[in-house]
Amino acid sequence: MATDTSPDRIEIGQIDWEEYETGRFNFDRKTVGSTLSLLAVGLLWLYDFLFVAERHPVLEQDLILFELSLTPNNVDWLFGLTLVALFWYVVVPLYQNKRMTMYYWSKFKQNTAAIWSLGFLAIIFVMGTVGPLIIGHPEPNWGNPNAPPVFFGGEWAHPFGTHRTGEDILEVTITGAQVSLQVGLIATLFSIILASVVGATAAFSGGWIDEVLMRFVDLLMTFPTFFLIVLLVYIYGGSLFLLIVILAFTGWGGTARLVRSEALQRSEESYIQAAEAAGAGKAYIIRRHILPNVSNTIITAATLIIPVMILTEAVLAFLGFGDPNIWSWGRIISDGRNHLATAWWVATIPGIFLFFTVLSFNFLGDALRDALDPRHET
Amino acid sequence: MSSNPLLSVTNLETVFHTGEGTVYAVDGVSFDVDQGETVCIVGESGSGKSVTTESITRILQMPPGEIAGGEIIFDGQNVTEMSDDEIRKIRGGRISHVFQNPQSALNPVYTVGAQIREAIQAHQDLSKDAARERAIELLDEVGIPEAASRVDDYPHEFSGGMKQRAIIAMALACEPDLLIADEPTTALDVTIESQILELLMDLQEEFGMSIIFVTHDLGVVAEIADRVIVMYAGKVMERADVYDLYDSPAHPYTRALLNCLPGASGTIEPIGGTLPSVTNPPDGCRFADRCEYAIDDCFVGDQPEFFQATGPDHEVSCIHYHDMYDSSVVLEDTAGEGTATTARETTAGAHSEAGGDRL
Amino acid sequence: MSAETPLLEVRNLKKHYPITKGILKREIGRVRAVDGIDVSVRRGETVGIVGESGCGKSTAATTILQLEKATDGQVLFDGEDVTTFSKRELKRFRRRAQMIFQDPDSSFDPRMSIGESVAEPLYVNGMNDRARRREIVGTLLEKVGLQASDADRYPHEFSGGQKQRIGLARALSVNPDLLVADEPVSALDVSIQAEILSIMQDLQDEFGLGILIISHNLGVIREICDRVGVMYLGQIVEEGPTDEIFTNPQHPYTRALISSIPVPDPHRSRDEVTLSGDVPSPANPPVGCRFHTRCPEIIQPDGYSFEQATWRHLMDYIYRVHDQNIDVESIFEGVVTEQEGYDDIEEVPLEAFETRLREEFEIPPSLADGTAEQTLTDSIELVFAHDLEEASAVLSAEFETVCRQEKPAEIHIEENHRASCHLIEQDTTAVVESPATDD
Repeated sequence: MATDTSPDRIEIGQIDWEEYETGRFNFDRKTVGSTLSLLAVGLLWLYDFLFVAERHPVLEQDLILFELSLTPNNVDWLFGLTLVALFWYVVVPLYQNKRMTMYYWSKFKQNTAAIWSLGFLAIIFVMGTVGPLIIGHPEPNWGNPNAPPVFFGGEWAHPFGTHRTGEDILEVTITGAQVSLQVGLIATLFSIILASVVGATAAFSGGWIDEVLMRFVDLLMTFPTFFLIVLLVYIYGGSLFLLIVILAFTGWGGTARLVRSEALQRSEESYIQAAEAAGAGKAYIIRRHILPNVSNTIITAATLIIPVMILTEAVLAFLGFGDPNIWSWGRIISDGRNHLATAWWVATIPGIFLFFTVLSFNFLGDALRDALDPRHET
Repeated sequence: MSSNPLLSVTNLETVFHTGEGTVYAVDGVSFDVDQGETVCIVGESGSGKSVTTESITRILQMPPGEIAGGEIIFDGQNVTEMSDDEIRKIRGGRISHVFQNPQSALNPVYTVGAQIREAIQAHQDLSKDAARERAIELLDEVGIPEAASRVDDYPHEFSGGMKQRAIIAMALACEPDLLIADEPTTALDVTIESQILELLMDLQEEFGMSIIFVTHDLGVVAEIADRVIVMYAGKVMERADVYDLYDSPAHPYTRALLNCLPGASGTIEPIGGTLPSVTNPPDGCRFADRCEYAIDDCFVGDQPEFFQATGPDHEVSCIHYHDMYDSSVVLEDTAGEGTATTARETTAGAHSEAGGDRL
Repeated sequence: MSAETPLLEVRNLKKHYPITKGILKREIGRVRAVDGIDVSVRRGETVGIVGESGCGKSTAATTILQLEKATDGQVLFDGEDVTTFSKRELKRFRRRAQMIFQDPDSSFDPRMSIGESVAEPLYVNGMNDRARRREIVGTLLEKVGLQASDADRYPHEFSGGQKQRIGLARALSVNPDLLVADEPVSALDVSIQAEILSIMQDLQDEFGLGILIISHNLGVIREICDRVGVMYLGQIVEEGPTDEIFTNPQHPYTRALISSIPVPDPHRSRDEVTLSGDVPSPANPPVGCRFHTRCPEIIQPDGYSFEQATWRHLMDYIYRVHDQNIDVESIFEGVVTEQEGYDDIEEVPLEAFETRLREEFEIPPSLADGTAEQTLTDSIELVFAHDLEEASAVLSAEFETVCRQEKPAEIHIEENHRASCHLIEQDTTAVVESPATDD
C-alpha cells in the first residue's frame, strides 16, 4: 500500500479545530469581485435615481466619426446589472473550467444551425449594446420620408431606407435590438434567479416550505399576466421598465417547477448526504451542490425563455401597449404594416431581424440542451 | 470434452469501436457447454465475461459492438452467420437470459403475468388464456406462493427476490436449452441469493437445460458450477472442472482471486494493480503486470497457449505450465496454497458447526 | 478495555416513520425501521451490523449520525448524548463522526474535482486556507493509494474501487474519531473489496478510529470486525465477538445467515438452512419473536414432535390463516388450472381443495399425530367454506408456540455475547438472566 511510501507532510491529527470554528466567512475572488461590481452598479443607479433630477447625458464625447453619448435610464441600469451578472456567472465560470468548457463546446459545435445562430446572436448583441451608444436615438427627418433601401432605389446614407416620418430604419432596427436584448436578458435573468432559488429551496427543504412555495407557483402560473399589463399600461402609460418588471416576476413559475423536480433527484444522491454528514448547512448544500448540478437545466431553460420574453414584448408593442418613447421591433412592425404596399421595408426589415433572433435563441437552446444533458454525459 | 456439445464458442473476438480507439473486450475466447451442464464464467468487471455471453445471442449494442471473429456453434448451427430474424427466434426461445438487476428488468407499467405471457406468446402460438395459465404454472414452478393471485400483481408489489424469480420464470417460458444468467444474484441479499441458486439448480434438474452463469464471486461458483472458465482482460486464463479448479487452482490469477475472498480466512490478500488497457493490450500474458510469479518471458509475445494443468480437463494459459518451465513455482507456493486451504477449512468448519448441531 | 467509556454508545435507539393519511396527515401507523437497538463502539474497534435489506441497518447508521432525527433513545458519543446537542455541538460531532457510502458513483458531486470533494469537510468546518487544504488532500490521497495530482481530476475518471478510496480520504480529512461505513464494498467486485477492506484496516491502525460497518455480507463482517450485531426487523437479535458469533452462533437467524454465505468449496454438500420468503414489513412486525414467521427452528407446542420441516410448513399455513391473508380463491383457481375435470371454481370439491392447499404449503397428505391431523382437516374445511376466523380459532386452540406468544428476553450467553431467542431460554444450562435494561 502507498501508506508507508508517503511521508507525512502534514500530521492530520494535529489540526486544532477550535481555531477554525470561529472563522465563518470565507470569500474567494469571484464572490468578492461579483459582489463588489454588482454593488457598484447598483449604487450608481441609486445615485442616478435619487440625485440626478433631469435626464442628461452622463458621457458625451465627440469622436471623429460619430458622437458617443450615454444617457442611462432605469432600464439601462438594470441592463448594466444583468451584463455584470452574466459576466461573473457565465463568462468567468466558462473561463475557469476550461476543460468542461472545451468538452461542452466539442459537443455543441456538432450542431451547425446552432453555430450560425450563435454568430447571428453575437452580432445582435454587439448591435444592441454598443450600437445605441453610437447612433443615439433615431430622430425624425421630415425632409426624407419613405426613402427605399439601398439597391431598391435608395442611398447608402440610409441603407435600410427611412420611415414615413424620416427615421432611419437601420437606426430603428438597432434601437429595437437593444430593446429586445434588454427585455430578453433582464427579464430572463431575474425570473431564472427566482426560479432557481425557489425551486432548489422547495426541493431540498421539503415539508411545508415546499408546499407553500409550490402552491404559490401554481397561483402564479394561473395568473392572467396579459390583463395585468393592459391594466397597468392603462393606469401608468406604457413603460419598458414596468413591462420588464412584470415579465420578470410573473414568468418564472414553469422554470421553478423544472428546477425543483431536477433538484429533487439530485438531493437523493449520496454526495448530498456526505456534505450533510460533514456538517454542511442547507444554504451551503443548495449553493455548492444542488444549484451547480441543476445549472444545465437552468441554462437551457433560460435560453428558451429569452425568445418568449422578446416575442411577448414585440406582441405588446405591436398591439400598442408598449412604451411610446422607444422604438421596439414590435412598434415599428405595427407602424409599417399599413403601408406594406408603399413602404414594405418599414415592417419587413425589423420583422426579419425579430424572426431570426427568436429562431436563433430556439436553435441555441436546443443545441445547449443536447450538449449539456447530463444523461448523455459519460 | 464431449464430442457434440450444445454450445461451442471458438476463438470469439468481440470489439467495440469507440472514440478513443477499438476496445478488444473479448479477445479469442473458446469454451464448450454440454447438455445439462452449468458453466461459470468468472472474472472482475472489465474482464469481458458479460460481453462474451451477450455475443452469443448478439444482444450487445451493435454498433459500437462488433463480433470481429470466431465461431459460435449452437446445436450444430453457426450462430455468427445467422440473420437477425433467425437469431431472434433462438433468443428468448432456445437461449434465454437473466440479468443482474431485477429492479429494471421488469416493466413497471405491466403486470408480472402480462410480461410472462408476452414472453410465452413471442415464441409459442398460445391463446391468451392458455398463456396465462402457463404463466401461473411458471410462477408456481419458480416458487412464488399463491401464483394464481400474484400473477396479476405489478412488479412493485414483488420483493427483489420475487422479481428475480419472476424473471427466471420469464426466461423459462419457452423451456430453453440454454439459460444465460449474468450475475443474477449480485444485487440480492445472501439469504435470497442462496434461495435463487437453489432454485436454478432445481430447475436445471427438472428441465435438463444448460446454464452459463456469469459472476465475479468464486464463492457462488463453487455452489453451482460443473465447469469454470476464468477470464481476465478479454482472455481465458483457466478452464477447469470445478473440483480441479478449487483443489488445485493453476493460474496465478485464479489463486489471487481465491485469496481475496473476504471472510474466508484470517488474511485477505488484495491483488493490487489494475486491469491492463483494453484498447492497447500489453504484450505477453495479460495478467503478467500484476502477477507475483511473473518472469521475463511472461512479458513477450502473445497470451500463452493452453497447457494441461492437473487433470485432463484442466487447461491453463500460463507459461509456467510449459515443459520448459517449472509449474511447481506456482502450484507449490506455500503462501498461496496455504491460505486457500485454511480458507476452505475454517469456513467449512464454521458452517458444519453452524448448520449441523441444531438440525 | 471494558472500564473505559466507549466512543459510541447507542442505547435503545428507535427510528419510526409515521404512515399518514389524508390532508391532515393523520398518523395511521408506523414503520418501525429501527426499534430499540443497543450498540457500542470503542476506540480502535470495528463493530459490524449485519442483516438483510429492509432490516433497518442503514436507517440505524443515518440515525446514529443524526442525519435523521431519532424517535427515541440515546446516542452517547464520548459520554455525551448527541440527540440533545445544539446546532453548534452537532456540527462538532459531525466533524468527529464521518460516514462512507455504498454507491461510489453517486457519492461524489460530478461538478466538483475530487480534490474539492475531499476538501469539502475541511471547508465546511471552517478551514479557509486553500493551500493547507490542498496539502492535506494530497497527503490523504496518497494514504489511500492514489496520487496527490489526482486531486484535479473529476469523479467520472475513476473506477468504483478508486472512488471508494477517495470516499475514505474524504471521511478521514477532518480526522474523525468514528467512521460509519454503510455497505462500503457491496457495490464492488470481490477482488476490489479486499483492497478497500485492507486499506480500512491500515487506516484504523494508523488513526485509532472506531469503525461501525453496516453490511449484508457476513464475509465482509468476518474479515474486518471485532464484534458483530445481527439485526432483524429493527432489532438486534444477537451480538458478540466476531469469532464467537461465527463459531458458536446462538440465534437461528444468525445460523441461517452464516449458512447462506457461499463457500468456495465445491465438495461441500448443500445442507444449508435456506430461509423461506422475505423479511416481513416493518410497518406491521410479527408479534412475539419477530423472526418466528421465517424461523427454521421454531419451537413446537408441548406434546408434539413433528419433523421440524413439517412443523415449519404447518406454521406457515397457520399464520396465514391467523392473519387472514390466505388467498382462498387462489387455491380454488389453482385446482381449476392444474387439474383436469374442473371448469369452474364452484365445482371444486373439498378433497381436491385440501390436496391443493397441502401442496401449496408443502404439508404432507397426512400428519402422523392423530389430534393434529384432525385439527388441520377441520381448519381446512373451514377455510374451504371461507370461514377464516373460525379456522383461526380452531388452529390456535391446538397449535400455539411460545415464539408467537412471547417476546424473547435478551440473554447473556457469555459476558460479551447476548442473544434473544426462546431456544436459549429453554436451554437453561449455560444461561445467565439478562440484567435489567432500564437505565
